[in-house]
Amino acid sequence: MSLDVRLIDKKILEDVIELVKPHTPQYCYQCAKCTSACSTSKVLPEYKPHLIVALTRLGLIKELLNSGIIWACSECWKCAEYCPQNVAPVEVVIALKNLAIAMGYKPPEDLKVMAKNVIELGYISPPIEVLSKEFEMYSRTTLELPPLIKPYINTEAVNNLRKLFGGVL
Amino acid sequence: MSKFLLFLGCTIPTKQYAYEISARNVLPRLGIELVDFPEAGCCGFPLKGINKKGWVYMSARILSIAAKKGLPILALCNGCDTSLRKIKDILKHDEVLRNEIAELLSREGIKLNFNVDVYHTIEVLHDFVGIERIKALVVRPLKGIKIASYPGCHMLRPTDIPRPEPSGEPKKFDSILSALGAEVGYYPDKGGCCGATMLPYSPKHAFKLTAIKIKNMKDFGFQATTTSCPYCMEMLDSKQDAIRAEVGDDTLSIPVFYITQLVGLAIGLKPKELGLNLNLSPVEEVLERLGVSIYE
Repeated sequence: MSLDVRLIDKKILEDVIELVKPHTPQYCYQCAKCTSACSTSKVLPEYKPHLIVALTRLGLIKELLNSGIIWACSECWKCAEYCPQNVAPVEVVIALKNLAIAMGYKPPEDLKVMAKNVIELGYISPPIEVLSKEFEMYSRTTLELPPLIKPYINTEAVNNLRKLFGGVL
Repeated sequence: MSKFLLFLGCTIPTKQYAYEISARNVLPRLGIELVDFPEAGCCGFPLKGINKKGWVYMSARILSIAAKKGLPILALCNGCDTSLRKIKDILKHDEVLRNEIAELLSREGIKLNFNVDVYHTIEVLHDFVGIERIKALVVRPLKGIKIASYPGCHMLRPTDIPRPEPSGEPKKFDSILSALGAEVGYYPDKGGCCGATMLPYSPKHAFKLTAIKIKNMKDFGFQATTTSCPYCMEMLDSKQDAIRAEVGDDTLSIPVFYITQLVGLAIGLKPKELGLNLNLSPVEEVLERLGVSIYE
């Protein structure tokens, strides 16, 4: 019986390392301090940052992306603070999200809506009417706040945004 | 008088209006001049998972426009503050990315320049206005009210870039509350996460995370809490009813304020001038103790 040593997908690991620079996922020694500190892990025990880093390093990226678990990260940055090896699992997760999008995986629907709004309006959401304590609806206008202008008025700016985020729509 | 570009981000000018109202009414009374910055838009932080380069581009664009105006930025939102500082750091150290971003910006006639200072509400209150000046302006002390400061993740982390609270604890935040006359103190996981970023993945799990925070505050005898982040406010205040329903615990009720609203109350502003009628948590519990009606 021979051991298959081609488990590591070097290309994917290289992509992750490039995206998380100057953090160093290749130095992870699986102490799991990140998972002890993790906010998401407190309410979703199957979310384990140290395991995500381990699977990434083994090149088991498709399994990881198919599970959808990376989208559960609360991005609190506690894992990065607790890591003794400057791995910053949160940044590994952000890199994995970027790779997932590039590979055609779909993010949670709300994130798509945010990207669409940013391209069209310059904000993640249009200004909404809110309900007050007296059950009255208020808008920026009725609250006498200045109107929101569209920040991206330049065609080139909108083209930039489309190129950068449009792939997810 | 210190002068700042008022950078609102996304959440504040599209739904968390009470923060904008209270900041616009309170800060000038403390000697802070605010200059509107409507061409800023979103900092890109919520979209970093889709494309990191897109995030860098959006924050770099805001930094460059501000640098041209020659004024420091006041970011009201924790996420915006973190985003702008993080991108300054990334642009400083990554030459390849810096050149790519400079090229993208030049297409829309903007010259990349990230040599601009970024400050957060807590720093403007603590470091620019100062504790002594705040104390001197208090006419309605928040006496006898035990208030839990809730800094939110991005006032403390990531720690590899300068943070508004460099100690890793909300010390400036608590000293502002003390200056207003409130009681402050410890509760477990004070620097913990509200769960807002988990919302698109699973509201249920996000609510559970917020519920833990409210329970810790209640268990440690706090009568109110305050934040300086619109995402934390959204979770703690706007979604408090939904959180109680999700975890089935009716005791998870606590008044939630923006820090600018508490400063405004203490220096004598009316609730309407602070947008307090827009807070959905039971803020009137605190207002009654101060002898103030929410309808003023």
